[in-house]
Amino acid sequence: MRQQEIEKSSVLSIEDYFDISSEINLEKDPFENARLKGPRSWILSHLFYRKNKYLLLLYVVLSIIANFMLSFTIVIIGYAIEDIILSIGGGFAPNILYWTIVYLSISLGTQIIGVGQRVSRIILAQYLEEEARKEFYMSLLGKSQSFHDRQAIGDIMARATNDVRFLNFLINPGISNLVVALNNIIVPIATILIVFPDLSQLAIIPIIFVGAFLFSLKRYVTKLTPLFRSRHAEFGNMNAILNESLDGIEVIKSMAQEIQSIEKYRSSAVIFRDISIKAGYIQARYYPRLLIAFAITLGLTHSFILNYYGLMSVAEIIIFLGLLSTLRNSIDSSLYSFFYIKAASIGAERLIETMLTESEITNPSDPIVKKIEGKITFEKVSFIYPGTSNYVLKNISFTVSPGQTVAIVGTTGSGKTTMTKLISRLYNVNEGKITIDNINIQNYSLKSLRDQIAYIEQDVFLFSKSAYDNISFGREEFSKEEIIEVAKEAQAHDFISELPENYETSVGERGVQLSGGERQRIAIARAFLSDPRILILDDASSAIDAKTEEKIQNAISKILRNRTTLLITHRLSQIRWADLIIVLKKGEIVAKGSHRDLLINSEEYRKIFIKRFDKTYSELIGAED
Amino acid sequence: MAFYGLDAEDYDRIYSDRVLLSRIIRIFKPYRKSMFIIILLMLINSIAFGVLPVLTRTIIEQTNQSSYSLPLVVLTILITLGLNLLWFILHFIMQTILFRIVSQVSFDLRFKLNYAVLLQDLSFFDKFPTGKIVSRVNNDGARFGEMIHQSIGGLASLLILVVVIVPMLTINVIISSIVFIVVPFLFVLTFSFRKIVRKRTLFGQRSLALVNAFVQETMSGIQIAKTFRQEGKLFKEFNVINKQNNKVNRSKEYAMNMLWPLINSVIYILYGVLLYFGGSLIYKGTISVGDWYLIFQSFGLLFNPLLQLVVFWPQFQQGMSAAERIFSLQDAEADIEEGDYIFSDIKGKLEFNNLNFSYTPEKPIFQNFNLNIEPGESVAIVGHTGAGKTTLARILLRLYEFQSDNDSVKIDGVSIRDLKLNEYRRQVGYIGQVPFLWNDTIENNIKYGLPNASHEEILSVLEQAGGVEWVEELDSGLNTQIMERGKVLSMGQKQLLVFARVLLQNPSILILDEATASVDPFTETKIQEAMEKAMEGRTTIVIAHRLVTVRHVDRIIVLDDGKIMEEGNHEQLMKKGGYYSKLYDTYFKHQSYEFLEEHQPSRIKDTGA
Repeated sequence: MRQQEIEKSSVLSIEDYFDISSEINLEKDPFENARLKGPRSWILSHLFYRKNKYLLLLYVVLSIIANFMLSFTIVIIGYAIEDIILSIGGGFAPNILYWTIVYLSISLGTQIIGVGQRVSRIILAQYLEEEARKEFYMSLLGKSQSFHDRQAIGDIMARATNDVRFLNFLINPGISNLVVALNNIIVPIATILIVFPDLSQLAIIPIIFVGAFLFSLKRYVTKLTPLFRSRHAEFGNMNAILNESLDGIEVIKSMAQEIQSIEKYRSSAVIFRDISIKAGYIQARYYPRLLIAFAITLGLTHSFILNYYGLMSVAEIIIFLGLLSTLRNSIDSSLYSFFYIKAASIGAERLIETMLTESEITNPSDPIVKKIEGKITFEKVSFIYPGTSNYVLKNISFTVSPGQTVAIVGTTGSGKTTMTKLISRLYNVNEGKITIDNINIQNYSLKSLRDQIAYIEQDVFLFSKSAYDNISFGREEFSKEEIIEVAKEAQAHDFISELPENYETSVGERGVQLSGGERQRIAIARAFLSDPRILILDDASSAIDAKTEEKIQNAISKILRNRTTLLITHRLSQIRWADLIIVLKKGEIVAKGSHRDLLINSEEYRKIFIKRFDKTYSELIGAED
Repeated sequence: MAFYGLDAEDYDRIYSDRVLLSRIIRIFKPYRKSMFIIILLMLINSIAFGVLPVLTRTIIEQTNQSSYSLPLVVLTILITLGLNLLWFILHFIMQTILFRIVSQVSFDLRFKLNYAVLLQDLSFFDKFPTGKIVSRVNNDGARFGEMIHQSIGGLASLLILVVVIVPMLTINVIISSIVFIVVPFLFVLTFSFRKIVRKRTLFGQRSLALVNAFVQETMSGIQIAKTFRQEGKLFKEFNVINKQNNKVNRSKEYAMNMLWPLINSVIYILYGVLLYFGGSLIYKGTISVGDWYLIFQSFGLLFNPLLQLVVFWPQFQQGMSAAERIFSLQDAEADIEEGDYIFSDIKGKLEFNNLNFSYTPEKPIFQNFNLNIEPGESVAIVGHTGAGKTTLARILLRLYEFQSDNDSVKIDGVSIRDLKLNEYRRQVGYIGQVPFLWNDTIENNIKYGLPNASHEEILSVLEQAGGVEWVEELDSGLNTQIMERGKVLSMGQKQLLVFARVLLQNPSILILDEATASVDPFTETKIQEAMEKAMEGRTTIVIAHRLVTVRHVDRIIVLDDGKIMEEGNHEQLMKKGGYYSKLYDTYFKHQSYEFLEEHQPSRIKDTGA
């Protein structure tokens, strides 16, 4: 019965990834280990991923060349002046044109290199953003349902856009400024040592400066860290508040609570503002700015003293001061650089935090793929929603034979919907096991399992896409004719035909307002199309109009045929289709049996039905005879 | 280039640069004093910075002379140090104020935008995906702040420019005048980038909004995607959008970045010219080495700010396009204009006279619709999907504008268009079809409309709505966090809480759009009982999806295609034998054996065998 997953084609497509992978792990996830090691390794592994490392190398090499060439232009000017001064004294004509041409060719050459430098930087930055976002989104898709239950969508959105974007900023202005800063420290000092081989003491002041500079830089970054952590979290919070407000805008408006919502957003925005002000204060008080002032003044003094003792010429002073002042360029560059590098690492921290959240649903190591017959068994199943402590289901046991229909009834909150979610392994059970065809569902490949289970939810979610796409989920293997065919089966064809653009009409959450019954029929059409072995129907509709009611009943009765069905319903008409009725109360099965048995034997069952339509107990029993 | 989903929204508009700038300036108006201080500090700093090369020249001149004036040199060095310190302190003060203003301005902008968005009509949110709106408020707000901060640098540049150019002009008019020939050329060069940058930034921001909206929607529907194993499909679509974002933003960056090598080239050519002619002049003895050094250094100091100034405008276009997106959303006009009439107490007489309404012009929902409801009366509206039931409730809540004249909808004889909305809506209780709850505790959800409600009041309405028992059994009772949309609760529980929420509000008019999602009959009975109590003494409109409710109301209206087909109470309508009685029979028929046998004979035999 076990068979190897798929015939492997030479190139794996995205879909294949999902086929062979579990709910979380891509088989080829190049960043998996790096994620575990923390933000720094993760960022590095992205920087060195495939072509990124060549782009990075190209960028750094070009930057160094460009900077060396630039500082060389200063030296050339010094030489030119020396030539002029010497020629005045020596009575020969200086070769100014020669120096000008050398100067121009070097500086313009630098610009050409600069183009390459910028292009490699831009490509690297954008790819870094794209790849990180892709990895993040992939990880989101792989998470279990219980993970998604706990997340605020607005915060996830903030991570996927804002935090990922900071990886782009890591390259520019982050690393690009770091390169500038480093160049403006190393190159002038190196040049001083090369140009003044006899006066290496000139390098003392710049080197002391660099030491002090690094020290205060470290303090700067340390101070920014906690601020950034809360700044990014607050941005996520702001996003979550706004997103939720817009989600529930109808409630806000109808209850006239706009001000309350605005206040809520405001209080979060105030925190965000205050953090930004604090971060600004730290940026403003950037001590290296002060250090460079001392360094330049001292350098000036130093060179003057050397000149006083006749060890340095005027031209040499000009060169030295020119080189010294390039140190100044490292100040603002380093400020921005570390500002953004830190922000990127905090962003990475947040991304990794989400990505590393354990997903308890994983594919087994040797997943089973088989055509399901449809026998479902619950063996002493207990379940607690992750993060809570109350049992939602306790010690549930029952068996459904292939093709049978089981109705689950119970008062609200008794665990009916939860029970059905366990079958397709949206959650793992805490105790006991669920088997399908006598095989534990945890041993099935998730794809194989879920492909053969269709779920018609209580609150049908439609994507803001065409009716076609909502039925087919955009699976291209189905033709439009087939889609229309299933829509007819599901009794959805008529109302879809009446939509402004028929099947092309966008039916999303707020696009065209579809009623609960209409949404349900779209869900039924989805289920027809996927032709599942097991059907779970959380009957939501309670349409009042006769035509609709009949249509829905028709559609449901058709889809039940020849499938194992779990039906959450309280309509007597549907309950009567059931081969077995399970009565749930506070997560436990309190009774099982036929409608008649239960009316006689189960108090809970009677409690549920007895008041229905003012019918009496005897009337309900009587209907049976 | 063909892009997907990057079109302008309907409310997007194009503002002229003048309008945009004047609005941006207006935003800064409350901070004009601080801005003035910043400018003053910048000016002082520019002077301090401008003096530095002059001081260095003094020292160089000294060394080039045969005799030193040592005190002068020492003094010059000390002044240099002093100026540098001064510069640091002033710069610190200036930056602190600047960050404060920028953060405050971004905050103001975000706050105002959020305010404007939440005051939009409901129809606005039908048209525009929330993910994109969220992106506009938060991401464009952030972008604007960044750009403003960078732009202030441009302002400083202008000041430095003035300070540096003046001493330069006094030294050598010939060399300085070269600058004035080149600068206009640079301006022309960068100005041509303006439109490209603006357009590409706009696209960049839109594509980011698209990413945001996609993540939002797919995460909302993740459960259904999972159960149908559609992760691969979503991932493919995401890749398209994500790749597009890469491409669009890359093209923006290219445009911004090609500017610099171009400008730099022009400047280095200028330097070359300066070297050649300056060198010749020194050789001829026209200027001294010190003077020449000053010019060369000043050029460096001059060009940095000049460059900033030159690229200011194209760079500022990024801020402008963010501002344009922000202002468009802020300026999006709401259809609904409120009046200023405030009821002290609504009695509850409702009149619809010749009401006309349609969501789209092609498909009218109501045409000359008439209905009167007396104070305290309970009315159920029955009819199939699309008959206009929910629309009627929304019009009554004034969530949508209707197309007919002023007097078409009246509350206690006052036109609904004259009402002050907040005060009016507070007296109308509305329970929507899909129970929506906030990511908060149960208690806070119940007292949502009445934040000051006491614990006892909350318990009492919860009791009325039949929720006390199960709430107590939860982990933390009333303090249980129920996550976004009340994810941790069952459908029935959500309905009960929404009910309690409205009961606490104690409205004069109750509008109940019954949930289509069904709950078990036991819970339904509970809701039913609570509802009957709630109807007492209140004008109630029930948009009925369940017939149980309908039997207990004073009047039933059967609506079809925006017209009243039948009206009367349950008994009257049953006797009449029209649409309603047929409906009622069908409903019960579904609970009966006959229906079953008619529809499912084969199945019953199958399983029986």
